[in-house]
Amino acid sequence: MTEDTAARRRVPRGPGATASSPDYSRDEKGWNDDDSGKDVYSKVGVTAPRFGGGGRAARRGPPPPPQSLGELVEQNWEHIPPIIYTLLSCWTRFHKIGKADYVVWDEAHFGKFGSHYLKREFYFDVHPPLGKMIVAFVGLLSGYDGGFEFKSGEKYPPEVPYVAMRVLMAMFGVLMVPLAWYTSVELGLSWRACHLVALMVLLDVAWLCISRFILLDSMLLFFTFTTVFGLTKFHNQQWRSFSFDWWFWLAFTGFNIGCVSSVKLVGLFVTALVGLYTIEDLWEKFGDLRMSVRTQLWHWGARVACLIVLPILVYMASFKLHFMILSHSGPGDAQMSSLFQANLIGIDFSNNPLEVAYGSKLTLKNMGWGGGLLHSHVQTYPVGSEQQQVTCYHYKDINNDWVITPRWDEPPVDLHGPIRYLQHNDVIRLVHPATGRNLHSHNVPAPLSKLNNEVSCYGNATIGDFNDYWVVEVVDDINRGKHVDRIHSLTTRLRFRHQALGCYLKANTKGLPEWGFKQIEVSCDKTNDPRDMYSYWNVESHWNDRLPPGEMKLYRSPFLRDFWHLNVAMMTSNNALIPDPDKEDILASKPLEWPFMHTGLRMCGWGDNNTKYYLLGTPVVWWGSTISLFVGVGALVVYLMRQQRRYVDMEPREWDQFLYVGKIAFLGWFLHFAPFLIMGRVTYVHHYLPTLYFAVLMLGHLLDHFFFRPNRWTDRTKNAVFGACALTVIGTFWWFRGVAWGIDGPINDHWGLLWRKSWNIYEQL
Amino acid sequence: MYDVSSFSIAAVGILTLFAFFLRFYKINHPDQVVFDEVHFGKFAAHYISREYYFDVHPPFAKMLFGLAGWFVGFDGKFLFENIGDNYTDNHVPYVGMRGLSAIFGSLTVPVVYGIMKECGYGTVVSAFSASLVLFDSAHIAQSRLILLDSILIFFMAMTVYSYIRFRKLRYRDFTAEWWGWLVATGVFMACTWGSKVNGILTVFAIGAAVLVDLWDILDYRKNESIDVFWRQFTARAVGLILVPFIVYLSFFWVHFTVLNRSGPGDTFMSPAFQESLVGNELLMHSAEIRYLDTVTIRAKDAKVYLHSHPEKYPLRYDDGRISSQGQQVTGYGHADENNHWQIIPTKALPETGRGRIVRHGDTIQLLHVNTDSVLLTHDVASPLTPTNQEFTTHPKEDYSRYNETLFQVLLMDGEEGSAWRSKSGHFRLVHVLTKVSLYTHKGQLPDWAFLQQEINGNKNPNDRGNVWFVDEIVQTPDGEDVLNRQATVNTPNRDPKPRNFFKKFFELQGLMLQHNAGLTASHPYASSPLNWPFLVSGISFWTESESQKQIYFIGNIVGWWTCVIAVSVYIGIMGADMIGRRRNVKAIPHSVRKRLWNSAGFFLLVWFIHYAPFFLMSRQLFLHHYLPSHLASTLVAGAVLHFLISDTVNTPISAKGHFTPLRHRNYAEIGYRGPIILGIWVVMLLIAFVYISPLTYGTPGLTGDEVNARRLLNTWTLHFAAKNAGQV
Repeated sequence: MTEDTAARRRVPRGPGATASSPDYSRDEKGWNDDDSGKDVYSKVGVTAPRFGGGGRAARRGPPPPPQSLGELVEQNWEHIPPIIYTLLSCWTRFHKIGKADYVVWDEAHFGKFGSHYLKREFYFDVHPPLGKMIVAFVGLLSGYDGGFEFKSGEKYPPEVPYVAMRVLMAMFGVLMVPLAWYTSVELGLSWRACHLVALMVLLDVAWLCISRFILLDSMLLFFTFTTVFGLTKFHNQQWRSFSFDWWFWLAFTGFNIGCVSSVKLVGLFVTALVGLYTIEDLWEKFGDLRMSVRTQLWHWGARVACLIVLPILVYMASFKLHFMILSHSGPGDAQMSSLFQANLIGIDFSNNPLEVAYGSKLTLKNMGWGGGLLHSHVQTYPVGSEQQQVTCYHYKDINNDWVITPRWDEPPVDLHGPIRYLQHNDVIRLVHPATGRNLHSHNVPAPLSKLNNEVSCYGNATIGDFNDYWVVEVVDDINRGKHVDRIHSLTTRLRFRHQALGCYLKANTKGLPEWGFKQIEVSCDKTNDPRDMYSYWNVESHWNDRLPPGEMKLYRSPFLRDFWHLNVAMMTSNNALIPDPDKEDILASKPLEWPFMHTGLRMCGWGDNNTKYYLLGTPVVWWGSTISLFVGVGALVVYLMRQQRRYVDMEPREWDQFLYVGKIAFLGWFLHFAPFLIMGRVTYVHHYLPTLYFAVLMLGHLLDHFFFRPNRWTDRTKNAVFGACALTVIGTFWWFRGVAWGIDGPINDHWGLLWRKSWNIYEQL
Repeated sequence: MYDVSSFSIAAVGILTLFAFFLRFYKINHPDQVVFDEVHFGKFAAHYISREYYFDVHPPFAKMLFGLAGWFVGFDGKFLFENIGDNYTDNHVPYVGMRGLSAIFGSLTVPVVYGIMKECGYGTVVSAFSASLVLFDSAHIAQSRLILLDSILIFFMAMTVYSYIRFRKLRYRDFTAEWWGWLVATGVFMACTWGSKVNGILTVFAIGAAVLVDLWDILDYRKNESIDVFWRQFTARAVGLILVPFIVYLSFFWVHFTVLNRSGPGDTFMSPAFQESLVGNELLMHSAEIRYLDTVTIRAKDAKVYLHSHPEKYPLRYDDGRISSQGQQVTGYGHADENNHWQIIPTKALPETGRGRIVRHGDTIQLLHVNTDSVLLTHDVASPLTPTNQEFTTHPKEDYSRYNETLFQVLLMDGEEGSAWRSKSGHFRLVHVLTKVSLYTHKGQLPDWAFLQQEINGNKNPNDRGNVWFVDEIVQTPDGEDVLNRQATVNTPNRDPKPRNFFKKFFELQGLMLQHNAGLTASHPYASSPLNWPFLVSGISFWTESESQKQIYFIGNIVGWWTCVIAVSVYIGIMGADMIGRRRNVKAIPHSVRKRLWNSAGFFLLVWFIHYAPFFLMSRQLFLHHYLPSHLASTLVAGAVLHFLISDTVNTPISAKGHFTPLRHRNYAEIGYRGPIILGIWVVMLLIAFVYISPLTYGTPGLTGDEVNARRLLNTWTLHFAAKNAGQV
């Protein structure tokens, strides 16, 4: 940059100043009917390509009803390209969709979860339920009865309508394409850029591939797209605050935030994008001194209601539905509280003897959020005392059983004598019948919580010491309040104090390493915090032949409690999905490998007879979009520096438009990418798929900004650039179409697919 | 009235005097190794004995300790092995080394005073900030021991001080003074970064401030000509990038020059690096390997030997898979006859001479000497890792499977024709037929293989577990002495081989980063960053059971909470100001607001940049990582105090240039409230400090009840606490 005052433009006219003529796109598309606005959609469609949206909305009368088909087409000319793209999208998504007649990749999970809904069995998973309920609904529509187990790689039996299910799931993928088109239109991109964005969404093989199976990702992508679409629509209503359209699109955005977050928690990232947009918007409004306080409050209230309350309601409603559908006992029971389980059909805790006595065999449930059952197994601690491990476990198993046993100096339980009930302040031993050992604690630091004492299982029926003594302390009873004489199963909340050390039996929230099978650590907490839920336990299953079966009135577990409990359990399990340093997971990849597509993912067996699917993007789309992010940031910095030197490159409206689209694209990308960098859990390449959308928008935006919009290029040049980009995308797609449509025969016979050495698409020799 | 310069000098004198007293008080106690003295004392000893060591932190502060130790006559023999080892018994002049730390720690106090003073705050406010550091138990505990932090913090404070001096001279740019402070900022920045790896945050903090500054200079309204910007930019690039980098490099240059002997750090480094050290194992025992030599082969990371024994793989594994029932090949951790392998050529050899040397890319067979069978791998799933190939052996005489027994030796970074050497020649052994690499990992085989480690063929050529080296040449075909064998051809050179400084430098930097990120093991006293400003928990540095003495690293609770409140108040004020201005309410006078933004804002930036990155780190984190941030927060506290007690500010504070218009000089009036608040705070700080001083100085010993009384927050985990009545 040299000092050249002649080049400095002090007048607010830039190279693109004339390009902002609101009618240019219409002329180029050959719209000759100005009165095409008839319904909500088309009205906005007309005004949207202008900068900033409907500031000067055209208010014209409705057009005359179409007299002929030609007129109908003419009036809806703007909808022709998206319709064509949708049809093309149907073709790419549905083409040979049933070719792999076996369970591909994560269909094993999500198909199985869908079956659980159809069978109404309670299961547990780290993802929120909406997506899986849609899978189940799709199964229901296609006439699937839920009887198939979805074992990975297994062939679908004839009674499973997997093709119909895949087609219905692929509908979400189909709709991504028109959504991308309309979003680009709303973002004010020129027609060439809109076509390119739609083409890239249509022809990216990763999006294509992931949409063609029974997975959650197509729904996640769909709802991400709808959320962004809602946001852009809403943005273009900003000069018509509180109009019907304004409310509609605000609520639409909020509703979709709820949906996207209820499919996978990755949806929270797009929520953050909407959040940032809203904060900036409100900050602008806050500085508007002409706006009355009343209007201000309405603005704030509208956002709170539509973007906070509504999504939360949607999210909670999906869980409510989840609990309502899954009313039977199933594999996920033990993740939930005892009271919740008691209400499931197929679990009969109400037949448990009510009052706990010496000699009773029982399971103990930790009452902390996401707590499991007190558990021990023959494996020993590799650290500390090296005695037998004690953990909290989330599945039902005989290793969860414990027997209430008197102290060593007391006579053993007399099976024919009077029944001795367990009471507050009793000192007992807890015997683990599967291994015969006693629950034990001693002055050895616990493996994770090094400040607590280790809890182990030690001794046998004859060997033991005073370190096996636990004092039973009653906290309260849900039915009877504070005044508790005998201890009831399910409802009485207990704590166990180690008599010799004075510490309390407590479950951690973190899991043990691989040697403890990632089960939850149990330790003895020296600090006595009487309100610590993680030191509360209740009796869950209870067996004692000498006691009458209880006829307890069942207490409903409140929904909010179950909801919170399940969410904490989901978080805990999610955080436990950390990469195992000892084991190299060939499928996992690191976030920094994604933008330049360093790795792909084999979605199925790689044998010569398999139909092979390889999760890999269309290289030019991924690489181009990533480069565009750098270019975008670079361009912003250069423009800002030039502004600081008082060069005028753009007129204010153009500048606002550049910033607005750039912000949506870059922040969207950043918010969907950066969290993965600091996340501890295992990450896979398909986590980048929602992120990619924003990079693609950025690519479209920058092509628009540098090539399609400036007047210094002739139409010829613009068409040449457009044609080159489009052909490259189409060509690369065609080259790589096999990875999404399925590759038959030995993979190494398919020449030319290894564009980066790091891809494991070929079998290495 | 409090700003007469003699008054200021007196204040600085008193503060410094107190600082020295509090840091040197009973510095000889305890005469035992405390906490991380285990590491840093040891490293200092290595400089004296000139043995190479490896550490994640840059060497500057450790070299200073080495220098201090050398100065007071430490011979470097004592190695600081365990916490609690006695110094007196081992005749270690530890007081001198701790003294260095204490001197830097003490000098930090007047620097803090200076920073505030230079920023235009009065003596009282400056003394307030300085006393928050002066009476701080955490700063004192760190400064009394052989730890890097006091040095880091001193240089960090000096960096901030120099930068402020530099910035104040902005109207006299390109004068000698201006250059002096610019270069000083750069040099101190390098010292900070050179002391401890988290010193790089200081570089970021200054970098951020410089960017803001440059953005201002870029403004057309300030400078019509762009050349001004480029001149300023170049000057900063030289002073704040080039100079620090040279200084930083020079630390490493000294480091490598001093540490020229082999030591405990050898094994971290590459073979080429190791060969540059005097007396290195590789240098002394590395020899070229020739065909028909019998060798032991060891995995680089797992350190197990390639082993085989007559036992066979069981036909059927527990999971129902089937093996080849061939002879087992395992990884074994101990020396054993069964680790011996002979290198069999696959081509004709000359009788003697250098033609018999094995070179990069050669194809060989490996003969297991004890069972007289050759190594083989084939497409059978390995016992623990079904995706990898099983390794076994095959009778030597049976040539039916000859092709499956051929392996290629590929040296790491090997070139055509480079010789395979024992010890230094790291290599991969690649199966010619199936292209898998000999691989081992931490998987333990069941009892049928005596719990030895699994060995298999890995399809991924870049796995770390593929790298092996020849540990020893056990036997040569004609019984020659291995080390002197080359003598017939060319004299072996046992002198260290020089290596380019920059190669060494970049290798070490890479390793430091890698190991720093790898410090993820849990530690009972590690804490999360969110707890730090509130002093939720400290670190137990040292205990002595019989006298019930302990050193518990924790800050002065009055001081730290003052800082937290000050930071919150500052953010509150600025937030309220922003919101107010948005609604066109301008409550704060222009000059005061400018000071709040530019001076206190800079302090807050320093605080934030030294603090926030820790939230993103997954390594072990300790309370003492917050100390640089704490220092910055005391500066914020001073600025906030000034704002609260005075409506005006001292102006101008920058030096006048040739073209700056004459400005009226203003003095802030702080009235009597200032000294009174300062007095109250000093008393409170002193009380809090004296009360927990037995934990800071490790003496006197405390009874159980006294310990309990000093447990000001129930999250502190002190030793020797009496049991509560509640805990039976």
